[in-house]
Amino acid sequence: MSDLDIRLAPAVQRQARLWSLWRQMPLSFRIGSIILAIHFIVAATGPFWAPYGYSQMGAGPPLSGMSLAHPFGIDQLGRDVFSRVIHGSHIVILLSLSGTLLGLVLGAIIGLLSGYVGGWIDEAVQRVLEALISIPFLVLALIAIAAAGTDYAGNPILIVLVVALVYAPRIARMARAAAIDIATRDYVTVARLRGESAWSVMLRELVPNATGVLLVEFALRAGYAPVLIGSLGFLGFGLRPPTPEWGLMISENRALLIIAPSTVLGPGLALASLVVGLNLFTEGLARVLGRTVKLGNQ
Amino acid sequence: MAERRHPLVEVSGLAVSYRQGGGWQRVVEGVDFDIARGEVLGLVGESGCGKSTVALQLLGYRHPAMRTDAGRISLEGTDILRLDRTALDRLRGETVSFVPQNPTTALNPGMRVGAQIDESLAAHGQGDAAARPARIAELFGLVGLPDSPDFAQRYPHQLSGGQQQRVCIAMALACDPKLVVLDEPTTGLDVTTQEQIVELLVDLRARLSMSMLYVTHDLALLSQLADRIGVMYAGRMVELSATPDLFADPRHPYTQGLIGAIPRIDGTDRRPSRPLRGLLQRQSLPKGCPFAPRCDFALPRCFEEVQLLRPHGPARKIACWRVDEIGPAQEAGEALPPPLPAASGALLEIDAVSVAYGRGQRRFQALRDVSLDVRKGETVALVGESGSGKSTLARAIAGLVAPETGTVRLAGSRLAPAVKGRTPEQRRLIQFVFQNPDASLNPRATVGTTLTRPHDFYFPDRTSETGSRILSALADVRLDQAYARRYPDQLSGGERQRVAIARALVAEPSLLLCDEILSALDVSVQASILALLQRLKSERGIAMLFISHDLAVVRMLADRVAVLFRGDVVETGTCAQVFAAPFHPYTHALLEAVPAPRKRRRPAAGRRAETSASRAGCAYAGRCAWQIGAICETEAPPWRSTGEGLAIRCHHSLDDLKRRATWPGDVEAMPQRRTKR
Repeated sequence: MSDLDIRLAPAVQRQARLWSLWRQMPLSFRIGSIILAIHFIVAATGPFWAPYGYSQMGAGPPLSGMSLAHPFGIDQLGRDVFSRVIHGSHIVILLSLSGTLLGLVLGAIIGLLSGYVGGWIDEAVQRVLEALISIPFLVLALIAIAAAGTDYAGNPILIVLVVALVYAPRIARMARAAAIDIATRDYVTVARLRGESAWSVMLRELVPNATGVLLVEFALRAGYAPVLIGSLGFLGFGLRPPTPEWGLMISENRALLIIAPSTVLGPGLALASLVVGLNLFTEGLARVLGRTVKLGNQ
Repeated sequence: MAERRHPLVEVSGLAVSYRQGGGWQRVVEGVDFDIARGEVLGLVGESGCGKSTVALQLLGYRHPAMRTDAGRISLEGTDILRLDRTALDRLRGETVSFVPQNPTTALNPGMRVGAQIDESLAAHGQGDAAARPARIAELFGLVGLPDSPDFAQRYPHQLSGGQQQRVCIAMALACDPKLVVLDEPTTGLDVTTQEQIVELLVDLRARLSMSMLYVTHDLALLSQLADRIGVMYAGRMVELSATPDLFADPRHPYTQGLIGAIPRIDGTDRRPSRPLRGLLQRQSLPKGCPFAPRCDFALPRCFEEVQLLRPHGPARKIACWRVDEIGPAQEAGEALPPPLPAASGALLEIDAVSVAYGRGQRRFQALRDVSLDVRKGETVALVGESGSGKSTLARAIAGLVAPETGTVRLAGSRLAPAVKGRTPEQRRLIQFVFQNPDASLNPRATVGTTLTRPHDFYFPDRTSETGSRILSALADVRLDQAYARRYPDQLSGGERQRVAIARALVAEPSLLLCDEILSALDVSVQASILALLQRLKSERGIAMLFISHDLAVVRMLADRVAVLFRGDVVETGTCAQVFAAPFHPYTHALLEAVPAPRKRRRPAAGRRAETSASRAGCAYAGRCAWQIGAICETEAPPWRSTGEGLAIRCHHSLDDLKRRATWPGDVEAMPQRRTKR
């Protein structure tokens, strides 16, 4: 009995601490994380409980509109749009996050090294990055896809690379600003005096101290990545049908907007709620990470 | 002290807590004192002792994470702690005003300095808009700033640190307050500016007869300013006494330790200062006297029984029941080992090194033809005010800035100008310790990680011994091995500086470059780091280039001293020679500027406006009190050497310099000279 108490007490305590931590978070963070949690649960479990397969035809009369059995209606080919949205969830989330993550890694390495090394290398890198940023991102993405050639068109890896290419220069500029600030600290000077290589200084000294900036940057970019992927899908440069990617679905069904609006609104709603959830979450996260003075609230 | 019966401010039983984790931590407990009209009360103690918290309470400062548990602060009968928000707004600035520690962050960078003072005048309804500019000019004149309208139009970044602090003081004086609270107002300034600000405060005090509460960790500085001093330890007042009594005869063991820890420049022999044992640890305070764990005289009763301030003589209060048994402070300490024999060979040879920053119009010559040797195991101190090029020389030796001309040799072999061009062995032998312990450790790395990296980097073939080497390095700087798992934010400033020194020691260097490594630390922590350096010097035979503006510290540690002024070495010699006549005029001025207990302040001699004339002549010409005439500005002064190691660069002959020199301690022998400004 007594050792049960001992095991129980810390668990209860941790629970209480987590609860009070949760209560201290900004409201936007709390709402955002609830929306995101729902999205992640659907993405992870959806394929197992979705009423129909993503390319299963004959789920119901085509273009029959909203009903209890088919909340988002049935598309032209007789596929259940709701099931397709559920099946597409993990694709959109996976592509967005991995694209942003790759962009973050590339951008952080380029930006941190460039900011730390300085001199003409930094100048040259900055001009290239500025040139890339000055191209509107959709145009940049289309150029990259066109350059990759038709063999790779519709390949999910290409989409990930394109998202990374669009984000890396933007993240690199933030990372460079952080690196310039950190590089003036004495512990970086100590490492330089020791003769450490730029790579080693970056890994040991810069990255651990830039995590706050980089995390916020990651979260902000991740919030927009589904829109970018959706836009590519809409324009027909994203994944290939019949993949249930939301942007592609909106594009496929846009001609039916008048007849069966729910087939467009369904994936649109999913996309919008994911973006809003990500943005609320990241906005709250940025506020938490950027907060220095912890005020009491009693 | 006829006013004592009706003091301006009476603080009684003040207790303050801060929110910490889930609960409240008491940081100030049962503090009582009063301040008479026109009196300056100094509040002194180590960082974290609660002195600033007490000072802020006089302004009625409230914060959601802070709580006043008990006590009363009565200012002319009103209790500040019970005032509401609007009454406090009226009180602050008008009756009680505040001078903060860091003027750079205290002034609004986007607002002209005149407008910032105008703001506080307007808020308290002092004069109409037409009359206020004249008042602002008057205030600027009062604090020794130019009273021209142009000056009021400047932005804070266009002023020097000293001028910014003067603006803050002018702002505090704007509404003729009855009490000014000063929180470490000179800590961020260099020694010559610090001296000027203290001079200004002494002068203002005499002219305006207002009360001040001066909070500082620098006890020596208070000796020139305060009428009475309250010594705080761990949130309690342990001694409250008139300034002369406190310095002449400190009675509380903590006060004795604090005064013993001040390195003294007028000491005739080089006695190590007596450091206080241990550190203030708030988590493990005993029930009774908070100082008991560090006290040499503690008995079991001390740990059990709370000590309250009790009168001891007419004008003195002490919180220690054994005060009569303890008696006056014992002059402490074993003598230092004798200086090294001069025979050992040169380790570092600096030959005619010049360094300049920038190009063209912006070119700034930081060092001109500096030559200096450091022998094996020798400690050479570089002294001079900020901007004299001391740090630049250390950076040039370390390879962080490349000299324009000149060479640096280590153990006979020439060092490449940039650190990249040096061999790993050369980089290992020279280690740098920085001024600011907060910035010199990676906040995201544990102490163990911080120490492991240099070891594995320099000694890749003995990584099997890493663990034991790190523990021995920690032991060398007197830190427990449990510290290896801590992060820098879990350490105090002194502990961080110890870790920084340990990181240098792991590399087993032969030369340690110490750039102002004590100046960011409390007096008692300084003393213990100083003792650590002295031990390293005698046990390990590590040579040091010790950069400091604190001449008292230099005197305790250095074998030889080089005095720098504006990038020129103006005097070199052994420590004893430099601190005795003849002096270079600049060395003389530096020695006069040192605050020390039992030394009365007098106007600094001949500080004149700086001329940015051509640097053909002596660098010090234009500020020199003993200037001969035009020759100083047109011709480079010759080196005058005694042949025993002392060399002074001056147009005056050595005999002449000797005749002019007065040891700064003997004030009476010195004819009064007025400052020419």
